[in-house]
Amino acid sequence: MSRFAQIEEKVRAHERLSFEDGCALFLEPDLLRLGSLANWVREQRHGDRTYFNVNMRFEATNVCEASCSFCAFAKLEEGAPQAHTTTHEAAWQELAEFPDPRLSELHMVNGLHPHLPFEWYEELLRGWKRVRPEVHLKCFTGVEIHFFAAKFGMSYEQVLTRLKAAGLGSLPGGGAEILHPDVRRRISTDKATGAEYLAAHRAAHKLGLPSNCTMLYGHIETFEHRVDHLLQLRALQDETGGFQCFIPLAFHNENNSLRKLPEPTAVDSLRTLAASRLLLDNIAHVKAYWVSMGVATAQLGLRFGADDLDGTIVHESIYHSAGSRVPMALARDELIRLIREAGRIPVERDTTYGVIEELPRAHAPEAALKVRERFAHKRALSVVSSSSS
Amino acid sequence: MAKQKAGLVLNRYRREPLAQDGRLRAVGVSFLNAQPHLHGLLSGLGEERMQVVLAEPSELARRLYEDEADLGLCPVVPLATHGGFELVPGVAIGCDGPVRSIRIVGDVPITEAKELLLDAASRTSVILARLIVRHLCGGREPRLCARPAREIIETVSGTTLGLLIGDSALSVEGRFAYELDLGQAWKEMTGLPFVFAVWAGRRGVLTEADCELLSRSLALGLEARPQIAQAWTRGHGGDAEAHLTYLTHSIRYGLDERAQAGLAEFLRRAAAARLLPESELRFVGQAAPSIVTPGARPNGQRRSLDALLEYAADGGRLSVEDALWLGREADTHELGLAADMRRKALHPDEVVTYIVDRNVNYTNVCTTSCRFCAFYRPVGHAEGYVLSRDELGKKIEETVAAGGVQILMQGGLNPSLQLEWYEDLFRWIKRTYPIKLHALSPEEIWHLVRLEDLSLQTVLTRLRDAGLDSVPGGGAEVLTDRVRSKIAKAKCTSAEWLEVMRVAHRLGMRTTATMMFGTSDTLVDRVLHMLKIRELQDETGGFTAFICWDYQHDVGTRAVAGETGTVLYLRTQALSRLLIDNVPNIQTSWVTQGPGIGQVGLRYGANDMGSTMFEENVVSAAGTTFGMDAAQIERHARALGFKVARRNMRYELLSEPV
Repeated sequence: MSRFAQIEEKVRAHERLSFEDGCALFLEPDLLRLGSLANWVREQRHGDRTYFNVNMRFEATNVCEASCSFCAFAKLEEGAPQAHTTTHEAAWQELAEFPDPRLSELHMVNGLHPHLPFEWYEELLRGWKRVRPEVHLKCFTGVEIHFFAAKFGMSYEQVLTRLKAAGLGSLPGGGAEILHPDVRRRISTDKATGAEYLAAHRAAHKLGLPSNCTMLYGHIETFEHRVDHLLQLRALQDETGGFQCFIPLAFHNENNSLRKLPEPTAVDSLRTLAASRLLLDNIAHVKAYWVSMGVATAQLGLRFGADDLDGTIVHESIYHSAGSRVPMALARDELIRLIREAGRIPVERDTTYGVIEELPRAHAPEAALKVRERFAHKRALSVVSSSSS
Repeated sequence: MAKQKAGLVLNRYRREPLAQDGRLRAVGVSFLNAQPHLHGLLSGLGEERMQVVLAEPSELARRLYEDEADLGLCPVVPLATHGGFELVPGVAIGCDGPVRSIRIVGDVPITEAKELLLDAASRTSVILARLIVRHLCGGREPRLCARPAREIIETVSGTTLGLLIGDSALSVEGRFAYELDLGQAWKEMTGLPFVFAVWAGRRGVLTEADCELLSRSLALGLEARPQIAQAWTRGHGGDAEAHLTYLTHSIRYGLDERAQAGLAEFLRRAAAARLLPESELRFVGQAAPSIVTPGARPNGQRRSLDALLEYAADGGRLSVEDALWLGREADTHELGLAADMRRKALHPDEVVTYIVDRNVNYTNVCTTSCRFCAFYRPVGHAEGYVLSRDELGKKIEETVAAGGVQILMQGGLNPSLQLEWYEDLFRWIKRTYPIKLHALSPEEIWHLVRLEDLSLQTVLTRLRDAGLDSVPGGGAEVLTDRVRSKIAKAKCTSAEWLEVMRVAHRLGMRTTATMMFGTSDTLVDRVLHMLKIRELQDETGGFTAFICWDYQHDVGTRAVAGETGTVLYLRTQALSRLLIDNVPNIQTSWVTQGPGIGQVGLRYGANDMGSTMFEENVVSAAGTTFGMDAAQIERHARALGFKVARRNMRYELLSEPV
């Protein structure tokens, strides 16, 4: 039996995959078999439902003490030409004036600002809650939480408790990069370590704050590092059950220190999506982040394991500074169209995956695709695997 | 272009008025042997139920396929190719032994033939001939060349034989040393009658009453055969006695069990030879098919989607119904897998190719104003241009310096550029630069034909002689007239597009074929488009590659977008690999889909990444601007485990695969 066939048997029997299995997935030459299996898992859990939300992204500041080599904001100082820090008034106004009444989430991640006091952030959240209380605040990466704790002499619990009191609803997944220290010490040495990132999330989960998690791939890491990263996330999830969604993030190479590295290809992104879905058996959702992998690949990703197509966003700057050429925003109608074209059912959700509205799927015959009888999978497996040594 | 005339609509795409009064639209053929069938109908029998027009057999089939007719006296090969029509029982056009109107003729026996000229318009006759020839020549076939009937008679000599049908066949009786009557040869080979054509209707349209009507029409016609023979002599010449003998002794009009067995045997052999898909043919009003080839029912059960995918992955020939089923219901991954397996079978060395060339648009001035195009400028527009020799020369020099091996040169239909301008330009390019000229398109060529009032043959010959090496397959959009008449009304019809390629192939030029879907087309249109490419390829073998993409419409276009998107693009490409089983190369369109999806396409049936194309104007005008250089193309292909090589237009490798 081929290696992949062994893995497939485990998956269909709902058995957990090992580290070696994970590496085999990344080395599997046949992209479609891998995608097909991930798609099966996705459909087992979610059917055709594909989640999206109407959200906005906000960066309060891009001034940052850290020097991550993949980041276009690294080591940015206040007063530098591209540096920007908002004011409370501007931030509150931006939320208040957001035109779509369907807005359900504000996503904020920031640089690690050397001077802003902790109270500044608390007041920022409180003000947002005053202007639009129904908008969920998904703010601060695990790296920022660690930064606050270290800088202001608090524990993670204290940081998070105060932020929660100010209106924080959940944590986004950013800052994970690659958890393995061998990689981390080369690409983001002066911020939270992998263990600290996980500890921050653990603390959040214990306080009833759910969170997302991510992985930045396609730079200097190896497949083993990716699998190790995913298994660490899985282990924490076993403990706390607090991760909602995993988002793989493709490395972009402009305006940062890694600009000589080629970016991952679409195939790499799809493979990573699929492998993530198969390995993370205890995390409910996997997101195809269109900003990271491109709109078309993200759409295709909905058939490679992803059940979530991230949101409207409105004004994305992190990836765009690193050279991304995707649009700055996608309208809600666009997201719905993309989901339907992929043969899926668009489901508008709130931040914690409550259903706001389930929309009808497309009626064009080809778009409404269902998995039919499996196409001689055993035969396909043996034919292809025996010929691709 | 459209004229209103007492409630009937005429437009450029239809030569007869369309009945809009609820009657069934029946199409017959104007051959002698069809007249008994049509006799009653043409005399007014059933005219409250049906209106009858006449057409050439291939046009008849096209009308049935494209919903321009409800029933037709259809040759059996288009019926089997489609797979979705219902047959009218009891009546047919066939023979039981010598038929006289289908013959292979020549100076020497077929076993010594080196070349066989075929009138490709009758696919049924061609496939019958091929089965018989293979049988008689121990499995071999001489070189096959498609020619018009007139030419065949003039060219047959020595070891070049010809297949003649209909009037041409009857007219050469006794003239050649060797004559092989295919009706007789079939009987000798199988002991069975042969069926050429049957009445067939679109599914669910015909009733039993309609079948009775057609039977009655035939009954009247059989009685009136002497009159029919007389009338035919008046209209077409020849001898009335001979015509009558033909109608009474050579042609069989029934569809009894033996005839059905003969039809089934023909379809079985043709499917086994991969000339036709596996068939399941039903009669009107019957739920279960009566005429079935074994492969269509592997275990006596209706073939499942799984089995169909396997069959397609194995290179089995698909019918229209098969392709529609796959397109509608096959899972995206599985469709891709099947296409991938097929690609691998055709290209087992796992090499992905690409070409280094440049798209040069010599003019953007265009009289056509297609609704989906943002590149054209009308005559007199300030942004209209024609490239000068200097500009063109510079572009070519840059191309050569970058390792380019050809320029793909296309432009708008500019009325101030004559054939001589093109000839001079081509001659100058070829004597000045070491580069191949992959240029123009069927639309531009028809434009020159109209402008110069010359024949298609002449224009293409002159262009070839001036240096045109090959013709890109652009301007096809979707090759059904109902789509073309919506989005590109002033462009040539589908048949005209195909005719240019047919003539180009015969003149020794290779071409590609393309499809731009995503306006008003549906799956049916896309499948019919692919089928037309396959059928022309069966005739000429001249297509090197097929490329599809979806309508790009960010900026400056006017046609409404229809079914588009990444998933549909990949499914369509995969389907093209499976359906167009005789075109060896499928290109993935990173230009429109981006490098990422272009790359993924290599696992959905494509084996080629097109061109580095370091200039592109047409799709870019609509807002789609992706770029990839050679290094990126190679990296993307290698990331999937392929080796990469550069090629020329004929897909000959120009570098060692690495």
